[in-house]
This record gives sequence, C-alpha cells and structure tokens, in this order.
Amino acid sequence: MSAQPGYPQPYEDADNAPFLAAWRKGVLALQRCKGCSKAIYYPRPMCPHCWSADLEWFEASGKGTVVGYGVVWRPNHESFQPEVPVVLVEVQLAEGPLMLSRVVGDDREKTRSGAAVGLVAMPDAARYPLPTFRLA
Amino acid sequence: MASREIGIVGLGQTKYSKKPDGTLIGYLAEAGRRALESAGMQKKDIDGLAISSFQLPPDNAVTLCDQFGLSVSWAWYFTAGGAGSLSSVLAAIQAIEAGQANAVLCIAGDLYDVNAHYKLMGNFNHALSNYAVPHGFGGPNGLFAIVTRKHMERYGTTREQLGRVCVGQRASAMLNENALLRTPMTMDDYLNARMIADPLRLYDCVLPCIGAEAVLVTALDRVPKEKRVRVLSGYERHNHPPGEIAPLEGGWALFRDRLYADAGYGPRDMQFVQSYDDYPIMVAIQLEDLGFCAKGEVGPFLARHEMAWNGSFPVNTGGGQLSCGQTGAGGGMIGLWEAVCQLRGEAGARQIPGVSRGLVAGYGMVGYGHGLGASAVILENVA
Repeated sequence: MSAQPGYPQPYEDADNAPFLAAWRKGVLALQRCKGCSKAIYYPRPMCPHCWSADLEWFEASGKGTVVGYGVVWRPNHESFQPEVPVVLVEVQLAEGPLMLSRVVGDDREKTRSGAAVGLVAMPDAARYPLPTFRLA
Repeated sequence: MASREIGIVGLGQTKYSKKPDGTLIGYLAEAGRRALESAGMQKKDIDGLAISSFQLPPDNAVTLCDQFGLSVSWAWYFTAGGAGSLSSVLAAIQAIEAGQANAVLCIAGDLYDVNAHYKLMGNFNHALSNYAVPHGFGGPNGLFAIVTRKHMERYGTTREQLGRVCVGQRASAMLNENALLRTPMTMDDYLNARMIADPLRLYDCVLPCIGAEAVLVTALDRVPKEKRVRVLSGYERHNHPPGEIAPLEGGWALFRDRLYADAGYGPRDMQFVQSYDDYPIMVAIQLEDLGFCAKGEVGPFLARHEMAWNGSFPVNTGGGQLSCGQTGAGGGMIGLWEAVCQLRGEAGARQIPGVSRGLVAGYGMVGYGHGLGASAVILENVA
C-alpha cells in the first residue's frame, strides 16, 4: 500500500532513510546513541546530547503519552482539509524522546493532555507519511 | 571612532498591504531610503548593509549592494527569523565599534502575503518539512496552539488574560495609519472569533502581509540630539532550551540579568515593551522571561494591566504584528521601528508622553515545534 496521494511527504535522506523505511512497514524506528545511551527523535547525523556519531537503530514500542495538543481547523495544505480537525500532538514516547505527531480516529477530538496513545497499525498505517497515533 | 557612542539615528517603514505593489527589493530599498532620510544623511554615508528577509534568496546582502549601487566594507545577512533584526543591529554596532564600518543600514521585510506564508512554512527547514508538514501541522498556528494550551494547563492562564494583549494592541493600532487591522476589537470579538487551531482563534494569529522596515546605525553625534536613540544593552540566545518541542520559556531568561545590568535599569524602569507578537502567548512568555513577572504569573499580570499605548503597561504601541500585520522577517523589526519612533517623539496620536526608555524583544525561526531564536535590546533617548 502507498501513502494517500496528496499529503506532503518527507524528503528522504541519509539521516532518515531507516526511519522512513521502517514506517512503511508500520514500525517506529528510533536512533539510540551508543555513547550516552539516549534515544533520539527526530533522526540526526549525530547525537544531539553528546555529539557521538555512533548511533544505532532500534524498534520502539510505539507507546506514548500526550503532553500537549492543538486542534487544527485550518490546515496549511489542502490535502488535510477533508480530515479536519487535524489533532496535532506533542507525544512523549515511552523510550523518552518527544515527537510531534497526529492523533487520528473518530474519537480524536477526545484527545487530552496525559492521554495514552499507541501507533496506528498496518494496513491503516500505510496511509500516513510518518508515525501516527490513536488514543489507546 | 570607538570612543563615540554608536546607536540608532534613523528609521523607515513602507506602507503595509495584503498584496504587493512592487518587488521585494523595491520594498527593502524604500524602507532603507526612508531611514536615511529620517536621519538627514545621504547614500554616500553608508558603508555597511544588514538584511533580514526570508524571501531574498537567491539574493543576499552583497547582491543588494549591487542593486542599490553601494560599495560597503561590511555586509550581514540574517539568521534567527524574527529574532534576527535585533541581532543585525547588535552586529552592526559591534562592526562599527571594531572599525569595520561607519554607518550600517539594517533593513528587514518580505512580500509575505498568505500564499507566500503557506509556501514558506511548507519548506521552512529540514526538521519542519520532514517531520511536521506531512502531519498537516497547520503551520505555526498548530504549533503555538500546543504552546498556548500547555501554558493554560500548567499555570491556569486564560484566554481572557491573553486576549487583553490583543485588545490593547488593537486600541493602539487604531491610531496607526499603517496598521492593516484598525477597526475596534472588544474582548467578546476576541473570544468569539473563528476557531483556527483550538485554543487559538482568528485574533490570536498574525495576518501575513507585505512591507519592510529599516533603521540606520552609526555614531549618535552625527545627528541632532532629538534623533538619537541609544542602545544601552542587547543580547541574543538561540535554541534554548535545546531538545524541546513546545517549551514555555525561551532564551531571554538566560541573558536577562546581563541585559538589565548593562543598561543600568531594571524591568520597572521600562516605559514600554515592544515584544515579538506572532501570538499573544509569546508576548506573555517574553514578559515572564524578561522579568516583568515571575514564570507562570503572567495571566494575573495581564489581568491587572492595560496594554494599549496609554495604558499602565504599554505593549506593542503601534498595534504590533497582531494588528499591523506580519511582514515576514520584517516582523522582527516592527517593534524596533515603533520603539525608535516613540523615543524620537514621532509617534503622533499614540505618542507616550515623556517617554525616555523601553525594551524591544525579538523571537522567531520556528524549528521543530517552536521559535528557536530570542533577542532583546534596551533603548533610551538622549533628550
């Protein structure tokens, strides 16, 4: 399955290719620094904490907690207009990093700070260009 | 030269509009020419150029010298978005003090209509393009909805409190012929406006527009006393705190003590604040970080003050970006322009009586979630 035509897509590069490839299979891949053991998001060429370039990819749990959200009624890109409101969330992943993402589903407007979220599973996941969540 | 005090001696602003009436280079030129004229100086006096503009590439400060027919010994092109214009003035002062230039024209502006805004925000930087745009993030409105709600949830700040910034600024804008939004706005208007990105409604969000501003930086004694504006202190700090998506603080708190110590004044001595106002929550956070109230207490602070030009705590006394419009990177200079205007006594119907000093803060360059750049200066007149 391919992502829904029309969404803006991320630009694939050497830093994010493993992340994007994993998500095409519905998996959230994060980097972990071998120098300081911290998990990293978004994909980086080096650890933003200790500047080690020795990073490894691992499969994250896909679980997280909403720490902030905005309910977007006027998206910048027309492809999102039929899907308003877009619930934009700041998620703290179980592995530590913060991630901007989106909560989808008919109950998305029930999103609140503190809510538990989990990754959208395949095959629905293939619709979204980046790891996307539902209320858990 | 180093013994002569360097400051701001001229200011220029173009007409603001929703659609362009000329090229970006034309607007930058007009703002620059007006700044020169207001100083009573001439083109031959300029030997430095600093430009803040998102849309200028592939042009830059040096290619503008070609357009303008200027030969300069110092050129600067901006970083840090809406924090960048104040940075340009600080860099210009340092360049003059170091003997690299004598007079620097600092110009900022963009042809930033709504379509240009969408285009710019769709490809603003790698992190935003790759990891926010594909989510339908709603542009800065979506991101600052997160910041605003977080402040409300953590500290109990209300929309009514934040709205006082917008309502107060609108009252000032009604006395500014260049403001695009000049109709009266009540608290009810603010609270009941069209929802954009909950909790943000229409009047929380700046209107992108066309325009440019400029200031001229040189030795103060080149102009009559009434035109001189001292830069008592100024600092910048970028990407603080690192690694956060929607922090409720910015770089201002890190340099605040030095900013006031260098100036020899404290927050209570400021007679106005021109703060970067892409959203009222950012005005609020700047007031906290710059020491006008404690962190988390800005809600009650706003509730007990009036923010219009003639209020108990004047903020963005020309109406700010929220009422004038956001001229892209020029949004980082509108507060400086208004401050210089006030300190020269040229603010007309909205002139603060007897004003002698105030603070200007910059903010901008939205990265992965929030503005990364912070800057501030304290200004004083000589009269």
